[in-house]
Amino acid sequence: MQLAVNITVLAAIYALIACGYVLVYRVSRVLNLAHGELMMLGAYLLLMTATQFSSHWLAALTAAVLLSLSTGVLVYVFLMRKMTGEMVLAAVLTTVALGILLRGAMVLIWSAQQFYPAQPLQIANVAIALPGGARISLCAALLVLTTALVYGALLTFLRFGRWGVRMRAAGQNPLLAAQRGINLHAIYALAWGLSTLTGALAGMLIALDAGLNQTMAIIGLKAFPAALVGGLDSLAGALAGALIVAAAEILLINYVDPLLSEVVPFLVLIAMLIVRPWGLFGTREELDRV
Amino acid sequence: MFRKLAAAAVAAAIAGPALAQDAYVVGLTGALTGPPASTYAPAVEALRIYIDRVNAAGGINGKTVNLILQDDSAEPGKAAANAKKLIAQDNVMLMLNASLSSTYAPMVAEAKRAGVPVLFASSVCPKDVYPPADPLLFCTTAFAANHDSRAVLSFVKETAKEPVKLGLAAMAIPISRGEIDFAEGLSKTMGMTPVSKEIIPPPTPDYTPFATKIKDAGANWAYSWAPWVTQVRTLEALRRLGWQGDYVAWAHIEAEGELARLKDGQFYVVGATALFQDALPIHAEIAQAVQKANVQYPPQQMAEGWIAGMVVEAALKATSWPPTPEKLAAAMSNLNVDTRGLRGGPIAWTKDNHFRTRQYYRVYRWDPAKASIVRVKDWTAFDVQ
Repeated sequence: MQLAVNITVLAAIYALIACGYVLVYRVSRVLNLAHGELMMLGAYLLLMTATQFSSHWLAALTAAVLLSLSTGVLVYVFLMRKMTGEMVLAAVLTTVALGILLRGAMVLIWSAQQFYPAQPLQIANVAIALPGGARISLCAALLVLTTALVYGALLTFLRFGRWGVRMRAAGQNPLLAAQRGINLHAIYALAWGLSTLTGALAGMLIALDAGLNQTMAIIGLKAFPAALVGGLDSLAGALAGALIVAAAEILLINYVDPLLSEVVPFLVLIAMLIVRPWGLFGTREELDRV
Repeated sequence: MFRKLAAAAVAAAIAGPALAQDAYVVGLTGALTGPPASTYAPAVEALRIYIDRVNAAGGINGKTVNLILQDDSAEPGKAAANAKKLIAQDNVMLMLNASLSSTYAPMVAEAKRAGVPVLFASSVCPKDVYPPADPLLFCTTAFAANHDSRAVLSFVKETAKEPVKLGLAAMAIPISRGEIDFAEGLSKTMGMTPVSKEIIPPPTPDYTPFATKIKDAGANWAYSWAPWVTQVRTLEALRRLGWQGDYVAWAHIEAEGELARLKDGQFYVVGATALFQDALPIHAEIAQAVQKANVQYPPQQMAEGWIAGMVVEAALKATSWPPTPEKLAAAMSNLNVDTRGLRGGPIAWTKDNHFRTRQYYRVYRWDPAKASIVRVKDWTAFDVQ
């Protein structure tokens, strides 16, 4: 049972991070390689609001979530918008530069220390007993719940929401969407905002569970194979990819060698690229276009 | 803090060659940024504060110390470039390393070509500083491969009330893995049973899968010798799984604050540096200097860098003017520095031993009854041969 819980938690972490990659890619075909850093920034924003709001954890979380959403929108408005009409590669390289800039800025502002945002918020990360003798920490349980809610909300929004339908249209054919009166810049800004928000949520919950330091950005990169395995333009694919990568990782840790956990996501990714390069749920024509 | 470090680095880079004639020029390459910076940046900051104090008090032998700081982000390529720059451009007579062990080889190669001594300060001591020591390599860092596990396992053996089933946890970096492999072998010779050995990749989003294996293996003691993040997150994951065994880890610079945060009576830290809990006069001195310098790191994380500063000061003092790397290396090979209680004994270097002739260890834990950190075992000496 503990094995199943461990797989679920890791899959939830990867899925919550991976959906950020998918949202931006699906709409603008840009691979956001600064997603890990934006996720870490979200965690640091929570640290900042936690200090400001101390014991009011809901206020601190709400403020951090709003700040993260705004950050994503601002990244698009002030940086990625300038890349409109340029080669996709240029936009991708811009995100690499953004990641380096953010990493440096975060060290300057918050130093390299280990922080625990749960402390100022007075959140006790207690263990919850589950059937079968398994246990899960409160923050890990919240992470699983949040992932489920985020995916449910995003899938509903994209399927039925007016702006969700516009996002899908912009992703499928931006020229036609623009001719139909859809404001592409607003759609892209929304995608960047939502992407940063979901990544930041993952960062915040990981930080509440296990603390926060400069290594968090690399965790963001570890979730990247999950998005690719599932198909970069599919939210459901990101969920499936996360589950596959997490299951492979945990089972190998448990039954073969813990060291393999570092390479497993990328082994799964290579295997998928050989068999089905566009991912489990990805669209073949989209990949051909890349 | 980093603004100050950056400003110091820029100022030193501009003024370096000019000052070289009138000052002792010392260069440092360290992980001031990057994932492992939390272990190294506070030590570098403490060293900078110490050297600033020395200069403010008139310098050494009437000359100032020009400390040039270079960030390598724990990347070997950057460390090599830093070493080249420090030697060729800044004409340093001493290089310091405060970074991951992966940066050692390229940096040491550059230093050896130029005949410049290297001091490992806050980065793990390489075996080359143990007897018979490399003539150019020296180390002040508290933690040391092989020696630490001897001390830790001796403590476990003394403390355990029942047969020890040992769970081991390392980070997947060479130095940590090597030490845990060593501990695994040593524990068998000491009558313990290693039941699980987890090599945990950095970074890991969730430590629970690794902790699950240690718990399921039936460990009643667990030992981790790794960067702090791996040590403490493994412990926390074990506790959340309901594991009630004893856990022992190395007392890195974060230990004092973390013992107070965790408040776990069965979490022991073994270290070679006195915690501020001991309230020595030098602790007050460090705290005052840190407060005056207005840095982001707490004083409790500054002792390691402070000791490096004391040793650099003593080594330069013993080097007559005009200084050369050869004179400095000779002075360092016969050095005895009183750490004023920060360590169990002096940092004593001889021609063949550039680590220390005796290594002292103390054990601390959180005492829930007293609601404070307590000393479990006082300085215990181990000869270094």
